[in-house]
Amino acid sequence: MNEAEAATLSEKPSIADFARIFRRVQGEVHKAIVGHEQAVEELLSALFAGGHVLIEGVPGTGKTTLVKTLGLALNLSFNRVQFTVDLMPADITGTRVILGGSEGRREFSFQPGPIFCHILLADEINRATPKTQSALLEAMAELQVTVGGTTYPLAPPYFVMATLNPIEMEGTYPLPEAQLDRFLFKVRLRYPGEDEMVRIVSSTTGPEEAGVETVFPLAEAASRVEALKRLVREVMVAPPVERYAARMVRATQPENSRILGDLHAPVHVDAVNRYVSFGSSPRGAQALIMGAKVRALLDGRANIDYEDVDRVAAASLEHRIMLNYAAHTDNVDAAHIVEQVVKAVRTSRQ
Amino acid sequence: MTETRRDQQKLWLILFQIKGVRARLNSLALQQSLFSTLAFLIGGAALIWGAALFLSPLLFLFAALAVAMFALAGIVRQGRRGLRQLANSDRAAAIADQRGDLKGRVATVLALAEAPKRSPLWPYLVEDAYSRREEFAPARIEPRWVSRSIFALLAAGLMALAIVFSGLRSGNQVRRTVAGSARGQITADIGNLEIRPADPALEPNAEIYADEKTLRKLEQRLAAAQRDADQNGLSRWMNKARNLAGDLQNELTGQKTENAGPPLQMRLTDRNPDQSDGSASNPSSQNSSGQNGSSASRANSGSGTAGDGQTEPAPPTTSMPGAEADQLARNKSAFPAQPGPDPADSAFQDFAGGGSGGGQGSSHGSGSDPNGLFGPDSSRTLGADNFKITIEAQASDESSRSGSPGYIPPRIRVPLNSDQYPDEPLERGSVPSADQAAIKRVFQR
Repeated sequence: MNEAEAATLSEKPSIADFARIFRRVQGEVHKAIVGHEQAVEELLSALFAGGHVLIEGVPGTGKTTLVKTLGLALNLSFNRVQFTVDLMPADITGTRVILGGSEGRREFSFQPGPIFCHILLADEINRATPKTQSALLEAMAELQVTVGGTTYPLAPPYFVMATLNPIEMEGTYPLPEAQLDRFLFKVRLRYPGEDEMVRIVSSTTGPEEAGVETVFPLAEAASRVEALKRLVREVMVAPPVERYAARMVRATQPENSRILGDLHAPVHVDAVNRYVSFGSSPRGAQALIMGAKVRALLDGRANIDYEDVDRVAAASLEHRIMLNYAAHTDNVDAAHIVEQVVKAVRTSRQ
Repeated sequence: MTETRRDQQKLWLILFQIKGVRARLNSLALQQSLFSTLAFLIGGAALIWGAALFLSPLLFLFAALAVAMFALAGIVRQGRRGLRQLANSDRAAAIADQRGDLKGRVATVLALAEAPKRSPLWPYLVEDAYSRREEFAPARIEPRWVSRSIFALLAAGLMALAIVFSGLRSGNQVRRTVAGSARGQITADIGNLEIRPADPALEPNAEIYADEKTLRKLEQRLAAAQRDADQNGLSRWMNKARNLAGDLQNELTGQKTENAGPPLQMRLTDRNPDQSDGSASNPSSQNSSGQNGSSASRANSGSGTAGDGQTEPAPPTTSMPGAEADQLARNKSAFPAQPGPDPADSAFQDFAGGGSGGGQGSSHGSGSDPNGLFGPDSSRTLGADNFKITIEAQASDESSRSGSPGYIPPRIRVPLNSDQYPDEPLERGSVPSADQAAIKRVFQR
């Protein structure tokens, strides 16, 4: 790729460029990560859609490796924070320290915390107190950090990947709904299969490490990623598809689960009424549309379709649905609820 | 500039093609509504007409109501379905996307064609959709020109033809039967008649001849039947329904005009003249009290279907005031003369009393009682039972009250045609005494 091409790409990438770069990054990540194809695709989709990702998986499934590899492949600055119960907000955002000047004067100077980077890995985020967890809120939503009355902007692209360990629940603090809602997708990492396990063993126990190559030059990485994110936003959405996404989100809300998509055939999602305390917020609809846009670009389209929305529904809505005790009693999870909702809304469309 | 114009042309072509898809979809929707409605109309009308031909009035009434309701519901449903299937441009584009597997390209082009601000990717979308225009060509999205519901219409037409054909064939048979039978002369015993008030809407088409005493009895029984009908609301409504259904049947089948012939002449006899009070011997009263079945020979007063071989004659019987009865009694000489002792009376005596063992030995030789095998020689002239009642009737359970006995068909005989032999007992001859023991043994087994 010559300089002219690279310049063009950084300014106005085409749909084909997007798909090509996406697949290349995906390929680089898979050099280090065996399996988890869907998780990697959702992770990259969230990155290019401009959102953040909550990764849930048992220990040893490659959460940290995945995030590190992604940062390496994109050639973006990467920080990792291991959340613990005694972690303070200033440990993440940074703090003001007194420094001695050249003339002997002492001044407060802001020492940026690990939050100042392009890709932040918040490992085991549910181990920190809610106060510390909430320190991420402003950064995730507004790309800025306020410390001591001074606001410091974060350099785009800014991408937070938080991991959750679902089995060690003692001494953990479940994430507040407001923070959960700020994650575009929730990605589940499950145990690998037998073949994948064999490949993991053979690729990680040998003398050679996986040689992950950077996709972008260091100087252009941020701008290139930003250009691709802008392209995603240019993807067109027909009003019926927007309505479809809105209907799907409303269907997760118990008070609105009776969908009057078609006056002659109203749809009623029983599972929502029975098991859901609170449904998705409008951010859920935004996540559906943004995720669908990435899917459309990967398919070489400038428009999104209902199927694109369906495909990202689970990742977009599962963590936004608060289940009640009946759901826990009946062993019903959010994935089941979303599945029912998608099925019902799809039926009402036909 | 040229590029923009070319994009506009492509957009125009895409929109034009969507209009083509829409026109074809709407054409099919309208066809479906039309064909389905016609199918229900034709099929329903044919079924009702067939029911009018082949079913008894009450059955016809229920069947016609059911068919009419079904057809109406079907027409409404198909109409609504057709309206729902009518497609606007958005729906046509969505269908094109779905059937052409275009992943929303066409619908998005259509939706954003008039948008004031277009995305930088808009030319790409138009070009993309234009390059796939073959995949949403109207003929590909909807290959059919004619709706499948035309098969329903054809099926309904065939069914209607079959019903009309069988109805016409049945009508011809009836006409042949009517032509072969002596029409318009009935002799009946008043005790065997079920008498109920006539429907005022029906025109009288029967003349009754009887002696004065019998006519008086008829008058009493008419009054009793009227009282009975007034007291029994259900029965009254059933009769009204039956009358209405019969009238409707006649209107549908056109038999009222075709078969309205000369008035039916009925000679009324009374084999129990001593039973003066109609309430005691009135079969309709007995019917209503549920103690006895009644034999009915009902003169059709309006439609003239008596004797035409239809399923059941129209129900109302002659209603006759007392003065008219007197007049008829005086005019009874106008009835065709019956020489000597009234053979019709004897016939009815024979019919009515058949169960008690007539003196003519007709019960001998029947059953397996060997003691009754050999009686005296028949002294009666064979073929003498020349009573004739020219009414065709079918047995049916017309009891209007639960628990009341079923309808017993009247004891009548249709005159034989030239191809038939009389249904008469064999002439009894003398049996040699040597053979009598052997015959007796055979019957004892």
